[in-house]
Amino acid sequence: MASSSIKESTKRAMTLLLILLILGFGSCIIYLGYVQLIKGDTYRAKAESSQLYDSEISAERGVIYDRNMKELAKSASAWKVVIYPNKLKDEAVREQIVDSLSKVIVEKDDQGQYTKEDLEDTKESVREKASMTSYGYLVVKNKIEKELRDEIIKLMETKISVKSEMVSLSNYIGVESDVKRYYPYGTFASTVIGFTGTEDVGRAGLELRYNSDLTGTNGRIITAVNGGANNDKMPVEFETVYDAQQGISLVTTLDETIQRYLEESLSQALLDHSAKSAYGIVMDVNTGAILAMSSQPDYDSNNPYRITDTKTIEVPEEITDKEELIEKKVEAQYSQWRNRTISDTYEPGSVSKIITAAAALEENIWPENDTFNCIGHIEVEDRIIRCSHTEGHGAQTFKQAFANSCNPFFIRIGLNMGQEVFFKYFEAFGLTESTGIDLPAEASPVKDVTYHSLENMSVVNLASSSFGQTFQVSPIQMLTAVSAIANGGNLMKPYIVSKMLNQDGEVIKQNNPVVKRQVVSKSTCDKIIEMMEEVVNSGTGANGYVAGYRVAGKTGTSEKIGANNGKYVASFVCFAPADDPQVAILIAVDEPEGQYYGSQVAAPVAAIVMQKIMTYLNVEPQFNEDEEIFTEVNATNVIGKEVSSAKALLKDEGFNVRVIGNGENVIEQVPSANQTISKNGTVILYTEKSAEKEKTIVPSLIGYGVSEIYSVASYYGINVKIVGNGYDTTGFVSYKQSVESGTEVAYGSTVTVYFKSNLTAVD
Amino acid sequence: MFKRLFKHSTKTGLMRFKEDGPLDSWFLILVMALLTIGTIMMFSASYVYASYYRNDSFWFLKRQMIFVIGGIALMLLVSKVKLDFYKKYALVIMGVAVALLIIVLFYHTNVEGSNESFKRWIRVPLIGITFQPSDFAKIGLIIFLAFIIDNNRKRIETDWKYMFFFLAIIGAVCFLVILENHLSGTILLAGIGIAMTYLGGVKKGWYVVFISVIVIVAIVAISNMEYLPGYIQERLKSWLDEEYDPSGSRWQTNQSLYAIGSGGLFGTGLGGSKQKHLYLPEPQNDFIFAIVCEELGYIRTVGIIILFALLIWRGFVIGMRSKNRFSSLVVMGIMFHIGLQTSLNIGVVTGMLPNTGISLPFFSYGGTALTMLLIEMGIVLSASRGIKREI
Repeated sequence: MASSSIKESTKRAMTLLLILLILGFGSCIIYLGYVQLIKGDTYRAKAESSQLYDSEISAERGVIYDRNMKELAKSASAWKVVIYPNKLKDEAVREQIVDSLSKVIVEKDDQGQYTKEDLEDTKESVREKASMTSYGYLVVKNKIEKELRDEIIKLMETKISVKSEMVSLSNYIGVESDVKRYYPYGTFASTVIGFTGTEDVGRAGLELRYNSDLTGTNGRIITAVNGGANNDKMPVEFETVYDAQQGISLVTTLDETIQRYLEESLSQALLDHSAKSAYGIVMDVNTGAILAMSSQPDYDSNNPYRITDTKTIEVPEEITDKEELIEKKVEAQYSQWRNRTISDTYEPGSVSKIITAAAALEENIWPENDTFNCIGHIEVEDRIIRCSHTEGHGAQTFKQAFANSCNPFFIRIGLNMGQEVFFKYFEAFGLTESTGIDLPAEASPVKDVTYHSLENMSVVNLASSSFGQTFQVSPIQMLTAVSAIANGGNLMKPYIVSKMLNQDGEVIKQNNPVVKRQVVSKSTCDKIIEMMEEVVNSGTGANGYVAGYRVAGKTGTSEKIGANNGKYVASFVCFAPADDPQVAILIAVDEPEGQYYGSQVAAPVAAIVMQKIMTYLNVEPQFNEDEEIFTEVNATNVIGKEVSSAKALLKDEGFNVRVIGNGENVIEQVPSANQTISKNGTVILYTEKSAEKEKTIVPSLIGYGVSEIYSVASYYGINVKIVGNGYDTTGFVSYKQSVESGTEVAYGSTVTVYFKSNLTAVD
Repeated sequence: MFKRLFKHSTKTGLMRFKEDGPLDSWFLILVMALLTIGTIMMFSASYVYASYYRNDSFWFLKRQMIFVIGGIALMLLVSKVKLDFYKKYALVIMGVAVALLIIVLFYHTNVEGSNESFKRWIRVPLIGITFQPSDFAKIGLIIFLAFIIDNNRKRIETDWKYMFFFLAIIGAVCFLVILENHLSGTILLAGIGIAMTYLGGVKKGWYVVFISVIVIVAIVAISNMEYLPGYIQERLKSWLDEEYDPSGSRWQTNQSLYAIGSGGLFGTGLGGSKQKHLYLPEPQNDFIFAIVCEELGYIRTVGIIILFALLIWRGFVIGMRSKNRFSSLVVMGIMFHIGLQTSLNIGVVTGMLPNTGISLPFFSYGGTALTMLLIEMGIVLSASRGIKREI
């Protein structure tokens, strides 16, 4: 009995133990496995969603360089102001933060000159974010400068009273690192480079076109916060950092110096002619690389929303309606962001006669030496088309007709070749397709809208197209076509980015020149070049003349669509040196006031730019007999020599000499021996050490011929440099000087004088 | 020789209750192992909370250490006390336990963080220590029931009416604890009581009845929740519905699950818990196991559960080897108590069971609870000495 009862109690103990271990512990182990392993990831994700918060490390955007590795656009450190709205549930505290933060921001933004409305606007936007109390973190202002950052940090250190406790503002606001896009050259090439908007996204130009390349990969800092009311940071061991990766950098084909030349001249032209806009392109004819490209007026890439054009700034004053004002402003912004060299189209006018002529020569439509008699007009079907020279050019060879830009001649050869041949070359030169340049918003030609398609080209259409009317092209299309003539017949694909570099500066992609097709033969090109050179030497393009360089060019003037409104586009296309073309330039002035012919308005601009470029590119000038006077030489160094012998030596070299002081020996000569001056220039010899250089007054040098200018200059003791055709005494007069008359300058200073002809206006 | 010494000592007053046999070292090792791991984990779970709310990372550790050291001393002391002592004073012990349960209804203090309606804690005058009479009632009930069973062995096995007597005692104690608004304590006491009667040899048919009653009560209770006290309703709702009141009554369970989930197979490493950073409320208390899971991972946590299981198993072995029926019942009662409490705690922390305030033995913060636990371990150790001596 006893043993059986012991057995029974042991059995019961065993049962209880097993129930406890299997039912209790066993189910715990299994259920724990379910929670921890099977549902673990779900729970972990939920835990992390409250424990972790991400803050981004902004990746630096790639740099945009010119071809000499000058930085045109780069990213630099900046900061951003953030707030922690979930800690601002108390309205009184929130309002206090909004108030003090807005004041600091507005004050720095407007350099202390802010209006009440500015402050209210800022407050409104800060308040809006501060009120989103379900967020732990919101950015109030991006891309702030060091000065504002310092002010914010000062503000963060101040304390306010919250529930009778002094709390530092750093509990509510913070400053984090950011990057900002800088354009060291400001307005420089802005329509090409473009700009970035918020979040560092490219909005225009290269910044837009190459946005995905330029944008780097943002890094992340994952911070853990605790579950307390303030969500304070957990210790650093819970922090994970993923480094940011810098974006790809672009090396462009732009040349900072050439771009500067182009922009200076264009903005001058814009002013001189009160034009709506002026734009130009400089292209390497052999590769299609864009050396410079500008559209004036443009804008400062650092501040793209500010309207720079004085003309548009004035307009809004008259408008009182706020909505209209905003509309105007937006319109003005879009207008200044527009890269007109690729987005605008215009009737090329006489410039396109290059294409017609090339087609005629290639197809032997008009033997070179056959003459054409221009009677001032030509009949095409039922209508009469007049020549710009109404009394007629008379009998002229192909070359002469080209130089005269005679419309009836080009209509004649157009009609002779017929629609099919004309269109074949029209298409071959790329006038029916986009060039494919690596910039956004290139105009795309539309069949039967911007040009006459072969199927729908009437005889009248053919006639008008032959001399450059009733069709539209973009400047880049036109210049690419002309470059094909310059390089011996290859139509290039224009491009602006030559290389892409990674973070370490290694080349990861190289853009090589692309030949689209051979359009015409080399011999045809040579003939056209010869004709174009003649245009500059004795034709409509005389103002495109550059002393010492053989320039080939063609002028163009076209009335804008919606004709007879007196609005014109004056243009000039040229390239040099004619015997070995390197660089082609297109200059167009949109809606000039007063003079409007390409020859008067655009050609002188191109000449100035071309001369500077040729010098910059170290193309050796070759002067002919007439141009000998332009030869620039160095005077012998006579410092230390006795005055009389120095004087004799320099006179022998052909210079005028002026001695200042009573000393025996030459102490200094101006211009110095390593500066070039014109052959008959003036050298000033100083014989005494005087504290100040003696000054002379710059005389007016406008409206004279070359020889007059030289004698006036020598009288005043200054040197002159002539730009434009100065030796041609028929019609060429000086129209501009680089230093205004009445200015005091040191003896021996050089003043540039620009020449142009107003006689050869009509193209 | 031992016998002689023992016999000699029985003659001189209290010394007759001195137990001198060698204690069960396996059991002692398991106790010390769990106590060491538990204390380390209590510190790990508590230091963030302590530093945040008490400005002292060691606040809980320091206090717990006093009871750990004191408790170990007390355990070793109790292990020297023969179980006959409790047998002799069983009625007194039960009397004190019931008296304290009554006193606490009128004289209770609120422990920080606990519900106002809870009447669970008594503050000892002068010393200032707070303790739960229900903790004492558990050991009281075990001893008392063991005493009754031991004295009425045959009758219990044969007379089915005895069960009513047991039910009356268990019911009375549970009733007092229910009045404290202490559901978890009631469940534990009821569980312990019924397990004791089972060990005592009550006819098995009763347990079929008990299990049926429990199942029926549970179903009726859950389907008619509106009749239950408010705090129980809340807990049941938040247990059944994972989406229920996430920032309120479900918060603790959710944060506990997030902690366990974050631990995965291998854990975040000791000290690596993120959930203890003020997400899981009072991580040093009832939900400490969640932090253990997060930091140590599933594999090591299962190791800890196995340590508990080994402890229970070893305790039962001691109980079964006891030739003395009273000792056997007390030891098994205690071990059942530890086992039940541990598995209920893990069940709550993992969301398998509704949230009730059950602490994890050896791990949870709480001085008097730990002291009571170590006294119970001392009683088991004392019984183990008895076996060795008898052998």
